[in-house]
Amino acid sequence: MSTELWLAVIASALGTLLIRVVPFLWMQRRLGSDTGLNGIPQWISILGPLMIAAVLGVSLVPVNPGVISWAATAIGLLVTLLAWLRVRSMGLPVAAGVAVFGVVLIGVALAG
Amino acid sequence: MSHASTRSVLKGVREAIPLLGGYIPVSLSFGLVATQAGLTTWEAAAISLLIYAGASQFLFVGMVAAGSPLWLVVAMTLLINVRHVVYGPNLASWLPPSRHWLWLMHGLTDQVFALAHTRLPQLPEAERFSWFLGAALLAWVVWIVGTIVGSTAGEALTARWPLLGEIMPFALPALFLTMVAPRFTDKRWALALSCTIASALFFTLYGWSNVAIPLAAACGAICFYMVKFHPGKNTL
Repeated sequence: MSTELWLAVIASALGTLLIRVVPFLWMQRRLGSDTGLNGIPQWISILGPLMIAAVLGVSLVPVNPGVISWAATAIGLLVTLLAWLRVRSMGLPVAAGVAVFGVVLIGVALAG
Repeated sequence: MSHASTRSVLKGVREAIPLLGGYIPVSLSFGLVATQAGLTTWEAAAISLLIYAGASQFLFVGMVAAGSPLWLVVAMTLLINVRHVVYGPNLASWLPPSRHWLWLMHGLTDQVFALAHTRLPQLPEAERFSWFLGAALLAWVVWIVGTIVGSTAGEALTARWPLLGEIMPFALPALFLTMVAPRFTDKRWALALSCTIASALFFTLYGWSNVAIPLAAACGAICFYMVKFHPGKNTL
């Protein structure tokens, strides 16, 4: 890589780090201050769960979209949700969902 | 480090393992793409080590390979990552003050944020720092190792186990579903969350994956503020 390209990498890395760290430190300082500004603004606390929902939406698209992979996604999600409703934890539902998703994809591949 | 801290670090590591279902295939792909764009293995690894932000790394390498001006490459990379601005403030009240956040926040990716936002409030205060350390470090190290492996053996791996690259990423939607499901507490939240998920899916399918997360969250927020239910009719 040329020097210019290394500088671009470092600028991108520093900028990304600042985007992550500055708002965090700002909020910690705000929460610890005596000026009365010690609550998280409502819009930020609402955006938190919505960002997670958005990451879910983005990750729903299969690697190779097609009828089979979409069907496997729907079945896998249903199994994950049913397992979550039963145990209310993360590990088992995720393992069950991935296993069923994989079984559907491999089953169809073997049958085809 | 005390025995209790080590246990919390290991707890963070254990609970971040489902994230690897998404991290491994994507980092392998990044290593492969970076090599195909003319970078060496160590250059690709340096990008993963220093920038550590999936979508923007692909954009960075793609724009460099296409010969775009470097100021534009940096600007676009930062523009894609600007959504991370709201992640830190959402975690700030659960994490103790420490000078280590200056470098530890480097590990605050979309996935680590989602996991931390769900788990931190459930953990005892004394465990939170070590838990975050374990979860964030595992994800970061796997991302870098995945890039190196993808760069050196990506083609051989994807040729040998083509389905594995399709199955492992399903761990991410499955994990995020278990994080979002408990937040369907009333009709207002159910509507806002459903609107966000549907918008994100729509934007991704129509090729706007780079801006899908902030745009979809904005759609959900508009929905949250615009649609209100009568107090008696808001329960699910």
